[in-house]
Amino acid sequence: MPDSKKFIVSHAPFWHDGSHITTRNYHTLLAALPAVIFGMIQYGMPAVGVVSLAVSSAMIWEYLLNRITRQPVTIGDGNAALIGLLFAMLLPATSPWWMVITGTLVAILVGKEIYGGIGGNPFHPTLVAVAILMLSWKDLFDFDAALVDYEFDFAVAYPLAALKHFGAWAVEGFTPGGLLMGNQIGGIGSTFGLGIVAGGIYLALRGIIRWEISVSFLAGVFITALIFNLADGARYAGPLFHLFTGYTLIGAFFFATEDSSSPVNFIPMLIYGAGGGILTVLIRNIGVYLDGVVFALLIMNIANPLLDKLRPKALGKVI
Amino acid sequence: MTAKNELQLAYGIAIVLLIIGILSFTAFSAKPPEEPVRIMFKPTAGKVLFTHKTHAELGGYGIDCYTCHHHPEYDESALRPCGDCHSQTQERTEPNTCRECHEEGELETENTPKRSDAFHDQCIGCHKENDAGPIECSECHVL
Repeated sequence: MPDSKKFIVSHAPFWHDGSHITTRNYHTLLAALPAVIFGMIQYGMPAVGVVSLAVSSAMIWEYLLNRITRQPVTIGDGNAALIGLLFAMLLPATSPWWMVITGTLVAILVGKEIYGGIGGNPFHPTLVAVAILMLSWKDLFDFDAALVDYEFDFAVAYPLAALKHFGAWAVEGFTPGGLLMGNQIGGIGSTFGLGIVAGGIYLALRGIIRWEISVSFLAGVFITALIFNLADGARYAGPLFHLFTGYTLIGAFFFATEDSSSPVNFIPMLIYGAGGGILTVLIRNIGVYLDGVVFALLIMNIANPLLDKLRPKALGKVI
Repeated sequence: MTAKNELQLAYGIAIVLLIIGILSFTAFSAKPPEEPVRIMFKPTAGKVLFTHKTHAELGGYGIDCYTCHHHPEYDESALRPCGDCHSQTQERTEPNTCRECHEEGELETENTPKRSDAFHDQCIGCHKENDAGPIECSECHVL
C-alpha cells in the first residue's frame, strides 16, 4: 500500500478512472467461483480442503515474505488469494497438504515476490509453481491415479491420458457437450468448461482480461488440433476435444490473460494467444507431456516482452 | 474500501480458509472406500489402471471375488491386497503373510509366484478365456 501521507507525483494521466488492483482481483476471484464450486460439489471435502488451504497459504506466504523483506503488506489487494485459488483449480482434489503449501510458496516467492511483487512478474506465478511441481512430482499430477476412489456416471479416465496412451478411439465416448458440462475428471476447477467460459466472458466484459488473447489462444488450439486430426484421425483427437479438455479453457481465460505477463497491443496479443494455442496442441500431440497448456503459456510469457515491441505504426509522418 | 479495510478483509479470509483447510485435511478427510473402486498399479513396465469395482460388481463383469482372491479358498481372509502374498520382486519365496495361518516349516513348497507373474497369468488368462479385455502389453501398461 502506498503511504497516503506522502505526496505522490506521477506522470499523466492524472485523472484516476476508479479501477483498482483490488477490484480487478476480487472480480477475477468471483469469475472463477462457478468452476471452483462445481469442483467442490464433484469431489467433496478433499476439494474444499485443497482450495481453502491453497488460498490461505498463498496469502500467508505473501504476508510472511512482505514482513521478511520489510515491505508493506500487500495481501489486501487479493492477488495472493487469486494465485492460490488458480493454483488449487489445477490440482487433483486429493493433493496432499504439503504439495499445496509448497506450490503456493513457489508461486508467491519464485513466481512473484522475487520480481518485486505484483506487476513485475514475467511469468504467471501459478504456472511457474505448477510447472515446477509437475516436473518434481509428476505422479501427483496423474489424475487417473489421484482420483481412483471416485465414482461418477461418466467415464472416469483423464481424457488427455486416454488419448495419449491409446489413441483417438479411446476418447470417442467423450462428447463435446458432456466435456463442457464437466463430465470428465481433471483439476478441481478446470473441468467445468461452461463455468470457466462464463467467468471468462464476465471478465472480458468488465475489461479485466483482453478477449483478443483468449480468442486467439482458443483459435490456435482449434486450428492446430484440426490440422492434426485431418492428417491422422485415428491418432489425433478432434479440435473440440482439445478445446474442452485439460487446462485449455482455464488457460485461455485465467492464465494467458494475466496482466504483467501478456502483451498489450493488438497484433502482439493475437500472436501471443495463437502461439500459446499452437504450442499447447504440439506438446499434447507430439510432445511427451499429457497437457501442454502450462509449458506453452510459460514459453509465450518469455516471448511477451519481444512481442510487445511489435508496435503499430505511429500516426502522421515526419516531414 | 480503504486500504485498512482491505487488509482486514484479507486477514479474515486467510484465517477462516486456513481453519477450513486444516479441518478438511484432518477431521473431515475422506476415507478410502472399503472395496477399491479402481487400483493404479505402478510397476516399472508402466502403470496399469485396474477397474476393480467394474470387474467385481454384478452390473459390471460380475466376477466372483474368490476367483482372484483365491487363497484360502472361499474364505474372507483371502480378501486382501494381492501384494500381501505376491511379492513385487522376489520369485518363489514364502511371504510373511503365510505365517498368519501356517507354522514355520509347515509349508513344504515355496511356490507363490511374484506379483507380475501372478497378475499376467490372472489377467491375460481370464481375458483370453472369455475372449474379452486387453491382452497386449500396451493395452494395459502406460508410461
